Amino acid sequence: MSPIPSLAGMTPADLLEAEDVLVIWRPRPLPDGGEGAPEIFLALSAGGEVVAFHGHVDLGTGIRTALAQIAAEELDVAFGRLRMVLGHSDRTPDQGPTIASATIQVTADPLRRASAQARQALVALAGEWLGLPVEALMVEDGVVRGGDGANQRVSYADLLVGRRLYLRLADRVPVKAVDDYKVVGTSVPRIDIPAKVTGGLTFVHDLRIAGMAHGRVVLPPYAGIDSGPFVGTSLIGADPSSIAHIPGILGVVVQGDFVGVVAEREENAVRGAAELRVEWKPVPRLTGLDDLAGAIRANPATSRRLLDKGNVDRALAEAAVSVSRSYVWPYQMHASIGPSCSVADLRDGRLTVWSGTQNPLWLRRDLALLMDLPEEAVVVERLEAAGCYGRNCADDVGGYAALLSRAVGRPVRVQLSREQEHEWEPKGSAQVMDVRGGLDGEGRVAAYDFETRYPSNGAPMLALLLTGVVAPVPEVLQMGDRTSIAPYDYANMRVVVHDMPPIVRASWIRGVSALPNSFAHDSFIDEMAAEAGVDPVAFRLRHLDDARAVDLIHQVAERAGWQPHVTFGTHGGEGDVRHGRGFAYAVYVHSRFPGFPAAWSAWVADVDVNLSTGEVAVTKVTVGQDSGLMINPDGVRHQIEGNVIQSTSRVLKEQVTFDEGRVVDREWGGYPILTFPEVPAIQVVTPPRREEPSRGAGESASVPSAAAIANAIYDATGVRFREPPFTPERVRAELARHGLGAAEPPSLPAPARRRLGWWRALTAAVSGALGVVTLAMPLRGAIDLVERPDPSLWSPATIERGRILAAAGDCVVCHTGADGPPYAGGRPLETPFGVIHSGNITPDVETGIGGWSFTAFERAMRQGIGRDGRHLYPAFPYTAYARINDADMQALYAYLMSLAPVHAPVPGNSLAFPFNLRPLLAGWNALFHRPAQFRPDPVRSAEWNRGAYLVEGLGHCGACHTPRNLLGAEKEGASKFAGAMVDGWEAPPLLAATHAPQSWTAEDLYDYLRSGFSPRHGVAAGPMAPVVAELSHLPDADIRAMAIYLASLTTPSGITPANGPPAASLVATALLAGPASRLFEGACAACHHDGGGSRLFGVMPSLANNSNLHSTRPDNLIQVILRGIQSPARGELGYMPGYEGSLTDAQIADLVGYLRARFAPSKPAWTGIEETLARLRAAPPAPNARLTVTKINSR
Amino acid sequence: MERTFELRVNGRIHAITADPATPLLYILRNDLALNGPKFGCGLGECGACTVLIEGMAARACVIPVSGAAGREVTTLEGLGGARSLHPVQQAFIDEQAAQCGYCVNGMIMTAKAFLDRIAHPSEAQIRDALRYNLCRCGTHVEILRAVQRAARLLDMADAGAEPTEAER
Repeated sequence: MSPIPSLAGMTPADLLEAEDVLVIWRPRPLPDGGEGAPEIFLALSAGGEVVAFHGHVDLGTGIRTALAQIAAEELDVAFGRLRMVLGHSDRTPDQGPTIASATIQVTADPLRRASAQARQALVALAGEWLGLPVEALMVEDGVVRGGDGANQRVSYADLLVGRRLYLRLADRVPVKAVDDYKVVGTSVPRIDIPAKVTGGLTFVHDLRIAGMAHGRVVLPPYAGIDSGPFVGTSLIGADPSSIAHIPGILGVVVQGDFVGVVAEREENAVRGAAELRVEWKPVPRLTGLDDLAGAIRANPATSRRLLDKGNVDRALAEAAVSVSRSYVWPYQMHASIGPSCSVADLRDGRLTVWSGTQNPLWLRRDLALLMDLPEEAVVVERLEAAGCYGRNCADDVGGYAALLSRAVGRPVRVQLSREQEHEWEPKGSAQVMDVRGGLDGEGRVAAYDFETRYPSNGAPMLALLLTGVVAPVPEVLQMGDRTSIAPYDYANMRVVVHDMPPIVRASWIRGVSALPNSFAHDSFIDEMAAEAGVDPVAFRLRHLDDARAVDLIHQVAERAGWQPHVTFGTHGGEGDVRHGRGFAYAVYVHSRFPGFPAAWSAWVADVDVNLSTGEVAVTKVTVGQDSGLMINPDGVRHQIEGNVIQSTSRVLKEQVTFDEGRVVDREWGGYPILTFPEVPAIQVVTPPRREEPSRGAGESASVPSAAAIANAIYDATGVRFREPPFTPERVRAELARHGLGAAEPPSLPAPARRRLGWWRALTAAVSGALGVVTLAMPLRGAIDLVERPDPSLWSPATIERGRILAAAGDCVVCHTGADGPPYAGGRPLETPFGVIHSGNITPDVETGIGGWSFTAFERAMRQGIGRDGRHLYPAFPYTAYARINDADMQALYAYLMSLAPVHAPVPGNSLAFPFNLRPLLAGWNALFHRPAQFRPDPVRSAEWNRGAYLVEGLGHCGACHTPRNLLGAEKEGASKFAGAMVDGWEAPPLLAATHAPQSWTAEDLYDYLRSGFSPRHGVAAGPMAPVVAELSHLPDADIRAMAIYLASLTTPSGITPANGPPAASLVATALLAGPASRLFEGACAACHHDGGGSRLFGVMPSLANNSNLHSTRPDNLIQVILRGIQSPARGELGYMPGYEGSLTDAQIADLVGYLRARFAPSKPAWTGIEETLARLRAAPPAPNARLTVTKINSR
Repeated sequence: MERTFELRVNGRIHAITADPATPLLYILRNDLALNGPKFGCGLGECGACTVLIEGMAARACVIPVSGAAGREVTTLEGLGGARSLHPVQQAFIDEQAAQCGYCVNGMIMTAKAFLDRIAHPSEAQIRDALRYNLCRCGTHVEILRAVQRAARLLDMADAGAEPTEAER
């Protein structure tokens, strides 16, 4: 380790006072033309350090490596020796934000000059040192050599001993000739990848600093909207006491509409933000976006005429053919894989923020404004983040972290949730392009009249708006003009951009407005080519005089094997599938108008269009890009491939859904992106252009994407598509409009039916019936308290048997409160009649059953009468326990008495009149209770009888699986085990009438009861999960006996299909391709795929076999979607997250309808999905929703 | 309510005190300071958080610490470090299979578990295996190549041979 501090950690002021260094600096150029403080481009030390500074940041494109190549090349130091410092508010030069593909093309220039200048200075010094003329010297890895056989040498480091060379960056410095390049132009492996594949500290997400706390934010309900008077003024209040029960909460911070929670531990910050009671004003009516083009046209605008060449109006009037076309681009997301994260540390009036920002200096300015600090007191250190492809929430989260750090006086790390990033990232804007144009008599475009509307701006840091520091009045940025001038030589061309404020929060995304503008340009020229009866490539070449463009197009067409054609449909197909090829070309012109061009790009896209399903597959893309000199050819190729894949994803799949103007999509099912099987084969053409200056390579290959794909779909089908994404439902509908393909399938969910208020009627009936009966029934007496029996009275074997019996009876499930000690009671049990709390059955004399004699215990178990003579509510299944034999009853008693006593009073019950009158239960018992012990059936096997005893007695399966009558008693006869509802879950029938797609065999039942999972039926969830968990205490023989008995209840006819589950109807599935199938694919299929995915931990149940999907009601499916499975019967079954906070009701309803249609095709669509969903969502989450073990909803 | 768990991660045993519901991911990142598994969605959809549990790919954001206790957990760090790269990591470097690299943990861990089951996969099988691991940069082409290369490197490692530069 060098004793002197690393040059990389020093500020310009420090470096310009350092000893033994060479530093290249310049005064920061100020907007007014003046000179600011010095900034550093390069520093070398006598210690051998070589550090280059650059103001841009690496967004994952590899510019750290490419910039280091440029500096190492000019300096003649080994690539590995040079260290790059990027994007630091205090250390790196102000080179603007990392946008517009400008790093290599533009901002690398001063670094190249600085490196050449340093080499020149060092070689001159070496000449003096060695006494040799400079011309006689050569440099290799920072060592200057000369003389005979080059045996005289001195290193850069040695030259710097005792020197302080502070050189001002020269405007003109001789740089190397391209032919002399050794590092530039080669595919040097990227510097950052080894750390990324081994878990090194790379990302801002990975930063941990001493004393760091964790923050989460609660964002307002106007999801994704950042202008309007309600922004920053909608919060009514937040109640910190609502999360006082969560450990380690350090603070709840409220400022305007900003709400944040800080905790010692991250999971508690997550919980705090989720559980904090926050009240908001209703969201006012927002601009609806169902008619996207209409909303954008109605948005106020100022028009700018960018070009008016020739006489467009006259040319149009005289055109042989003239057409008007409109193109609509959807709102899209940057969709970074990692939601934004930041760490802030405010102490002693100085704020340090670690951030994944694109713009450290802009962020510093915003933070200073937000925190009311001078800019000098703010440091922004950029660390890598998940790729952003434009402006995401990276800056926002820095603001949140700063606010929270100030509030708690500690460093705070804030991580946005996936849902927050989806909702609030500034969207890639929707856009509308209108074209009027036509052909002249010679088959050329006579005129091109282009207008574009792009409602987007720079998306001010959200924290500034939420806190009211900046007024939520939208700024208008002139960014719709990117590549607005068509890249073709049209004699008459007019281009008008309508500058407008955003409608929803929006900002730049890869390709900015250029991608949509080019979509219009290159769709239109394709249409004109078809109109003119000319091959699409030839027609473009007819309108191009840019030699490099022409050359690139030739190369791409040749590599793709382009066959000239003048009509669609020449590429054939099979069955419903049609093949098509489309061409598009663009040169990405960016930055302030007129801007400057990055690399040229051209695409040939091959597609398969399925006429009946509407599915479009991009099977192959031949893409060419002329980037001039490629600093790192592999790096450029990876950018090209990345652009192809990302833009194909955007064109085929991506659009943000809005509901009354608010963002709906909060996860990857609602906003799906391209997956591995959908990735096209990609053929990259990069013409060698070493002698030409480098052109930006980070975005260009995206720009022709949409037009190429749309043109390919036209080539396959003869139908023009002018509004991406080209989803199956959109393609299907458009093809149908043109008389192609299939008609729309009927919409899925059938109309809802109104439910009756059944239990209101029931209340009246019960009170009448009980009123009569109780008159005739005496009350029972109390049984005296006894001393707590000494557990040593019983043998260990008896106690052990009792333990197993208690498990068979699931006693602990109901008799344990949330997070409470086992058997100490207090669990609230929801019944239709009100809430009942389970009793404490530990042997505590005062609050439990320690003072209960066996007689009292047995009376309670068999007759439902407490020791004090009060009737127990039949939520306690004494009607089943009455069947327990005497020996088992003794063993149970022995086991409970052997438990450690827990002093735990049980809360009172809250039953509505008349159910709060316990004496009425005596009447109930007279009506419904048959307290008789189990009697074996002599004609059945011992195993069957054992099973029956457990199922009917201790197991009390009927308590859930038998429907109850109006008075809450289990029905008898044919209704026994006929299935029932238990606290929002369906306990399915155990009879022949089970709705399982395949009958339950004894083997299935054994698997299910033993492991919690039957591959032919699914996983035990909801209230059944803890039952299975408890059954794990029972020996195999007992589980098998139960399975045999239960199997005997179902039909023995063996209706199991020989070839496994019924295959989902292929036709139905295909016709259903749409948002719901994408939701399933994105949100569910990782775990519920049928083989087309990875094997993951857990049983990954196939939904095709899931009994719940075949039920008459969707309750269990909806329960599981909302709340997930967080307490499975056994951990190895795996876990499922709840989607309550990630999917809307409409999305879940869609998904449920889809799952039913796909996996239970023989069953009718469910009705009342929306109502069921509303009811289950409103129900309080089950106590087990937080993953505590063996807790269930009431039985 | 907090409880103490014994977690076996990368061959070492740790005593962790936390709410049993805490996602394993937070424990690995915050208590054990492991950077490999990343927070991506919290819903098991994207795969950025993938670890191995008993050798099987597992999404650490949806598995509670209570569910991981008592099982062998392996993270990216447990595969290999800078000087002891696992063949899958080596293949990802060789193919330069990362752009931003946020998803690469999930790609490597999923590929590792997959190659343990299917040593000689076709490209279509690899695409299927990684179908539910999302990448936004569009690094898919390099990732597919890396998994193919990893399969070759693992073969050679099994055969005890050092791969030549050409074979790599």
